[in-house]
Amino acid sequence: MNRRDFIKTGLGIAAASMLPKALFGAEPRKPAGPVVAEARGVRTKLAKGALDLLGGMDKFVKPGDKVCVKPNISFAANRECGATTTAEITRQVVQLCLAAGAARVVIFDHTIQEAALCVEQSGIKAAVVDKDKVSLLTLTKERQFADTPIPNGRELKSARVAKIVLESDKFINLPTAKSHSATGVSLGMKGLMGLIWDRGALHKLNLHQAIADLASVVRPDLTIIDATRALTSGGPGGPGKTVGLNRVIAGIDPVAVDSYTVGITQWYNKSFTGKGVKHIVAAAEMGLGEIDTAKMDIKQATV
Amino acid sequence: MKTVAEAAPIRTKPGAGVRVLRWLIQLSLLLLFVLLFARIRYGASPSFSDIFFRVDPLVFVVTSIATRTLLAAGLLSLVVVVATLLFGRFFCGFVCPLGTTIDLADVVLGRKSPRATHWRHGKFFTLIFLLVAAIVGASFIGFFDPLAILSRSLALVFYPGASYFVGLVSALRPAAFTETLLALATLLFILGLGLVVPRFWCRNLCPLGGLLGFLSKFSIFKFSFRGECKVCGLCERACPTGAIDSGRRKVDAAECIGCLACLRACPDRTIGLAVKPAPQPVDIGRREALVAIGSALVAAPLARSIIHRNLQGRLLRPPGSVPEPDFLNACIHCGRCMKACPTNGLQPAILESGFDGLWTPRLVPRIGACEKNCNLCGQVCPTAAIRNLPREEKTYARIGTAVVDRSRCLAWEQDRACLVCDEACPYNAIDSRNQTILGTTLGRPFVNEQACVGCGLCESRCPVEGPAAIQVFSMAADRKKTGWYKTPEKARLRSCGDEPQEDVPSGFIQGEN
Repeated sequence: MNRRDFIKTGLGIAAASMLPKALFGAEPRKPAGPVVAEARGVRTKLAKGALDLLGGMDKFVKPGDKVCVKPNISFAANRECGATTTAEITRQVVQLCLAAGAARVVIFDHTIQEAALCVEQSGIKAAVVDKDKVSLLTLTKERQFADTPIPNGRELKSARVAKIVLESDKFINLPTAKSHSATGVSLGMKGLMGLIWDRGALHKLNLHQAIADLASVVRPDLTIIDATRALTSGGPGGPGKTVGLNRVIAGIDPVAVDSYTVGITQWYNKSFTGKGVKHIVAAAEMGLGEIDTAKMDIKQATV
Repeated sequence: MKTVAEAAPIRTKPGAGVRVLRWLIQLSLLLLFVLLFARIRYGASPSFSDIFFRVDPLVFVVTSIATRTLLAAGLLSLVVVVATLLFGRFFCGFVCPLGTTIDLADVVLGRKSPRATHWRHGKFFTLIFLLVAAIVGASFIGFFDPLAILSRSLALVFYPGASYFVGLVSALRPAAFTETLLALATLLFILGLGLVVPRFWCRNLCPLGGLLGFLSKFSIFKFSFRGECKVCGLCERACPTGAIDSGRRKVDAAECIGCLACLRACPDRTIGLAVKPAPQPVDIGRREALVAIGSALVAAPLARSIIHRNLQGRLLRPPGSVPEPDFLNACIHCGRCMKACPTNGLQPAILESGFDGLWTPRLVPRIGACEKNCNLCGQVCPTAAIRNLPREEKTYARIGTAVVDRSRCLAWEQDRACLVCDEACPYNAIDSRNQTILGTTLGRPFVNEQACVGCGLCESRCPVEGPAAIQVFSMAADRKKTGWYKTPEKARLRSCGDEPQEDVPSGFIQGEN
């Protein structure tokens, strides 16, 4: 069964929510919930540190896999302000994929501002570490997207989803941690809006529910949040208040990873948890993952 | 292996090599013109891509006069002036890429009789018209300069087509323009004139041809007859511009484009380039000159008194554009800025800025916005109608102000968590304020007029169908001929924007913190 069929049948939800148990169920732990890994410390070691806590990248990427990695480079903003994923963390993730035996890695995004300027400003080309195996793709055309039904969607019934995701063996979502004027925060699930052609359409619906609907069909194999610094106000495009956190948070459960990350810093000078963010709550209500940090298996390391 | 001497001799008419050489030079320069044009794109250095415009003395003279400012980049055109004063209108026969295009079209159209026509004074008419209009303060050069015409055709006609095909196999997004058909019609008209006589445009209408032709009358070297001539008339029939009167053994230096066809045709080699410093009489009729002057005196004030300019307030000029009257006088409608614009937002104006503003660039944010980090249009403008501002300075060159249309806005009218305008704004010029309307509290967009520069990213991204719910108007546009846009005050305001006083987004659930 290829990935596209997998998504179309809508089995993704059930299968993926079982996956954490399948992987980690053998090891008895107090909280039986999903594993969320958090590495802190030196920027150049953060991605590996987080992945090691999850058991290493080779648990996710198999030899010969075609992997697509989606950093958020939607804005041609000052690269240190936090509106975009750093090239450094992207580079580390790409290298981990290659080390795990990936045959091809495609770094891609569907930018909001002009693609060429976003690529230039983000410095993301530095993550193309191997010209033969790694490529950079910006989605600029409708033909790069394919109609995908959302069977369980409450607001959003279908979307045109990036073919690169449908055609890859593995999909790693690599957002930056930032605030968002409409949705409060923009982390993993909000970043999935970068996978669809007509994201404006979501704003005509109940946006929070529509994001959860989208997350019900597009399920990353891994969500890695670049929280080296967080744009805690003025998001998603910045400029705004940028807080240095020197962390990377990773996990399989997209709801858990997002929910946990909400709590690691203040947003708009106020403290929130995942339960205070509408689209994360909507996703949890659809059974897409764990929102309660108390039920997560949180592994931390300083690198 | 045969030596050169052993190889079969190539039997050709004398001078065939000259013909091949001329085609080679013409096609190479046309190719260079196209390549320099194609190189105008974000990420490539555009330096010297305007070299053809720099050596165009008509652009130099008319723009300098019309704007009352010496076009420094155009000083290079004095080289062409000097060369013409030495050898005549070689520019037209060898260099001009529109001339080459016309030659190619004439080959396709089939050779017509190259007889002299009464219309040959037309090029002096257009030249005088342009010069007088420039003196009284209006520039119409964009309609007549051959380089501007070809460049505009490349931008508005060929670039959309080429980018469509390139886009089929690459990530390039095809470009499209609102005014392609009119530009195409103009080009086809000019090329189609070849049905009357070859090089019709160059011989009868081109003001650059008029200028260089006028100078050629005074050139030191001229084509002329020498020695025994049998008056066979072959040279006259071969001449594509009707410059030769073999009966009277005369070559009109203003008509001759130095193509060397006569050299090839002459069986006795009695015609050729020789030192003839004596000026030929300038035979522009006094009446024709007066009509040209009169036309300019009518057209210039008419163009400048257009009252419907920018009535909708939607005429957004690219950042760094000089004040509107200067802009209209400096812009030669070459279309290079529109080719340069990475978002395709720069579009040719139709009649929004008066009839003389046809094909001048305007930003249409609904098609594409002005990206914060791009200043390419100013870099490629050959006449500084758009000033070449450094990137940071450009971000302070305000082109307008965004206005929210609350009756169309999803956040204001339909209680949707939208704020895409805020999301898209790179200048923090949209503030989300929690407003309660009929019991629903939600972040709704307000424009911070002090921070807005009118880039139009909000308008381009607004998800509402049809006209956006936030639109940029030209109000508060900052147009300067000289001087800087960034002031300490503006810089201070912008740095304060790093910590905007935003309301907590409605994406958070109140009381859950």
